[in-house]
Amino acid sequence: MSYQEKQNIVNIISGLLVTAIYAYIVYQKQLAGELDLAGDYKQWGLLFVIFIGVSVVARVIIQIVFHIINAIATRTEDIPEDDERDKLVKLKSTRNSHYVFITGFTFSMIMLAIGWPVYSLFIIYIVTGLLSEIADNSSQIFYYRKGV
Amino acid sequence: MARNKSKRNSKSKIRNNIRRLRFEADEMTQQALADKVGVSRQTIVAIEKGNYSPSLELAFRMARAFRTPLEEVFMYEEADSENTGT
Repeated sequence: MSYQEKQNIVNIISGLLVTAIYAYIVYQKQLAGELDLAGDYKQWGLLFVIFIGVSVVARVIIQIVFHIINAIATRTEDIPEDDERDKLVKLKSTRNSHYVFITGFTFSMIMLAIGWPVYSLFIIYIVTGLLSEIADNSSQIFYYRKGV
Repeated sequence: MARNKSKRNSKSKIRNNIRRLRFEADEMTQQALADKVGVSRQTIVAIEKGNYSPSLELAFRMARAFRTPLEEVFMYEEADSENTGT
């Protein structure tokens, strides 16, 4: 398995893990009455901003740990530079990721139009963001294996 | 549908002689060729298998690495009668 494939698998797992843990913590706070996510949209904004920060820091740490483990396992410290095939794979995967995100965005607008509460919009955004990231990483794995 | 068929066909039409040329170049390894042309070994594997069609620039660099004309490394199969109508 190539470095890129392993990295994408780690990205999918870490994305799921970080989002699940964060969602669980927020849900527990909501149940305890510390948050009012059904009515206070300022809190949603705050949650999103904190999530972005937490997610970035967690990913960086996970990537560093992955690189160390990979270096020990393969006995090569070099991170392969992207060549033209890698760039094409990433470009096509980003396109697929955008398709998923746009679909989620459209879905959220439809749900809003048929009368779902406004806070459902934020939940759909989080799920869509996660799905689009999974689409990006799994597309990369697909293109690396099947050809681009 | 027709567009997809056309895309599939165009992908499979490009053939290459990289394996043979590497053999003739003192059994040059895929890594050695990759280093010469400035891509990863995985990209050379993908090109050799026909899973990736390189850019024109990379194709020329590969031809130069083997010191052969481009047509000797890559060849484009003639369009079949279905596409050309001949």
